Amino acid sequence: MAETLLSKQIKSHKVALIGNPNVGKSTIFNFLTGLSQKIGNYPGVTVDKKTGNVNLNGETFEILDLPGTYSLFPNSEDEIIAHRVLNHTKIEARPDYVLMVIDSSQLSRGLFLATQLIDLGVNLAIILNMSDLAEKRKIEIKTYELFKHLGVPILSTDARNQKGLDQLKSLISERNFSKGKALVDIKQVIPAEILEKVMAKFDLENPYQAYQMIRFGAKDVAMPEESRIWLIELIASSDFNMQEAQLEETKLRYKKITDIVSQIVVKKEEAKPKSKIDSLILHPVWGYLIFAGILLLIFQTIFTWASYPMDMIDGLFAQISGLLIENLPAGPLTSLLAEGVVPGIGGVVIFIPQIALLFGFLAILEDTGYMSRVVFLMDRWMRPFGLHGKSIVPLVSGIACAIPGVMAARNIANWKEKMITIMVTPLMSCSARLPVYIILIGLTVPDELVLGFVNLQALALLSLYLLGIIGVLLTSLLLKFYLKTKEQSFLLVELPPYRFPRWGDVGITMFEKSKTFVTEAGKVILAISIVLWVLASYGPPSRMDQIREESQARLENVSDEELIASIEAETSSLLLENSFIGIMGRAIEPVIRPLGYDWKIGIALITSFAAREVFISTMATIYSIEGDAEDELTIREKLNQQINPVTGEKTFNKATSFSLMVFYVFAMQCMSTLAVVKRETKTWKWPIIQTVYMSALAYLMAFLTFQILS
Amino acid sequence: MTADKLPLNKTGKILEIKTSPLKINLMELGFLPGKYITLHHQAPSGGPLAFQMEETLLALRKSEAELILVELI
Repeated sequence: MAETLLSKQIKSHKVALIGNPNVGKSTIFNFLTGLSQKIGNYPGVTVDKKTGNVNLNGETFEILDLPGTYSLFPNSEDEIIAHRVLNHTKIEARPDYVLMVIDSSQLSRGLFLATQLIDLGVNLAIILNMSDLAEKRKIEIKTYELFKHLGVPILSTDARNQKGLDQLKSLISERNFSKGKALVDIKQVIPAEILEKVMAKFDLENPYQAYQMIRFGAKDVAMPEESRIWLIELIASSDFNMQEAQLEETKLRYKKITDIVSQIVVKKEEAKPKSKIDSLILHPVWGYLIFAGILLLIFQTIFTWASYPMDMIDGLFAQISGLLIENLPAGPLTSLLAEGVVPGIGGVVIFIPQIALLFGFLAILEDTGYMSRVVFLMDRWMRPFGLHGKSIVPLVSGIACAIPGVMAARNIANWKEKMITIMVTPLMSCSARLPVYIILIGLTVPDELVLGFVNLQALALLSLYLLGIIGVLLTSLLLKFYLKTKEQSFLLVELPPYRFPRWGDVGITMFEKSKTFVTEAGKVILAISIVLWVLASYGPPSRMDQIREESQARLENVSDEELIASIEAETSSLLLENSFIGIMGRAIEPVIRPLGYDWKIGIALITSFAAREVFISTMATIYSIEGDAEDELTIREKLNQQINPVTGEKTFNKATSFSLMVFYVFAMQCMSTLAVVKRETKTWKWPIIQTVYMSALAYLMAFLTFQILS
Repeated sequence: MTADKLPLNKTGKILEIKTSPLKINLMELGFLPGKYITLHHQAPSGGPLAFQMEETLLALRKSEAELILVELI
């Protein structure tokens, strides 16, 4: 029994899935692996390593989804992965089989990568996917002829419509892969004796592997130092130009492919005619209006749809906390669980509806082919700020939540443009700032119309959003001059044919992104929440005990319920004031006084460092509001009554309120975003720079606002 | 002339791809001498250009299109 189990484990075969972008590779991956997908990391790059298992006839196959690439010449971080996996220096780390997906209507481009794989000598099978598209375009491929030319198994599928997928499963389970016939003689490009030297040194099977090693081995950080130096010296000692060699290979390869394609493809129609939809979507005026309309629709939906599950999650976690307090013996451990850990987890989980929905919409826009049209429309307007057309996706997402926005920045190939995008996305006013804005605007801006139709409060809110966008653009400009890269920025994107979204794939994307967020960012948020809880719950013992004793003494002689509630509220306010966090609030008072804040606002600033919306609940605690702390009206009334003991004026006058709003426009104040930036940049350097920069900017702008208005 | 100079909806035959670090990226996508490209869409104010090449619609910046030498047909 044990023996059979063991032998089954050994029989796990690794299959790498590879193909050009937009060929339906992820549909095939999702079909094979379903929800068994795991996302891991490759060392040194931000590209996700997607794997999943499929069980066929009692054998397990591990499918590795490689990022889409046009060739084995790595241009972006994504493409380096394909090269590194296939040419891994440790042979046992290489995949056993490679499954290449080709878009049937783009045969020659697909064959470019396919023939490179054949030359590399991998065990290959080719899937001619999207046969429906090819049929529609009246392109007929003689698959048997193609098989005779390449020498590897070929399967025709239409994954979107579930055609040919059973045959795909049996192809994998029968391990119907084979090494084809080399097509390009690489010795025409690189001197044979050099190739032989490299083959001997690294124990390689064929000259093409040697060529790949020469081309990229020296740059691969995963290679041992000694081998890299050996390669660099070898290249330096011989007189061929690597760039030229690669161009020469490309020419030879395309010549072969053109020759093959002319023999196997019957095409009845010439180039594709201009699409009517694109004439509208890419129109210089209509295109932008449609884009604005779609954005409006998405935000409207996210704000209305996500609020229901978010309220439910909020209520659920409050209930769990309540149950814990009621049912567990009182003590620090219960308190930590009920007031630190559970709300901490709740603070992570509450973002899931927004993240899932936003990624759902992004997946639909991506899947239909619309997103690359937006890149086309916006590139011109993003570039002057050091951003790329692709930056529009993270920035737009940032209005809902910076977390999925920062995660979406990884599609940008150029390092500098990607970094700028990640750094500025949190400056977009996200939905967590909204409650803070709304309360403060309600306090200070009168609810009246100007010019007969513009609501003053709405105008104030809009101005805050615009202020955030100005912050994004100016910061981008600043970073454009500060960050340096040798990489050239370019835009070469395919605008794929419009297609209906595949709901299963959209669902899997929503699930996967939420899972990644919870597991990766969740750890950090939880840790910070616990630290904040400790700081807010404990203080110098002598003072804290004194407050508790006094409160006990006062409560003993009171029986009126309302009075008890008010004494208890006063006590918790006093306890917070004297806790470590309260002491910190007082300590920073001199620093924040020029912004118009007292120490109470200082405490709220510190606690809301973990998440902006905490500002409201902290204010509620500090100003000892009885009853429901989430009721915004109650908080607003309470805040409105606060009088500054020194000046005799309202604490939340126009100057202080606007200063606070401006502060929240620019301040980082979000642990979750920091955690995600750390995850995406793989270093603490960038989240720290970002926090310092945004805090300094927030301070400066709030200072100016207060000084001008007061 | 270069591909960015193609009039809207006109087709050009690729003669050559100028040498630059992007040459390989262009060739990889199928921009090869002998192929026909048609300028289908233009983003306003000097924005990207969208060329139809056989079955594919490809978006390029003006600076990238300048690397493609074409002959108007």
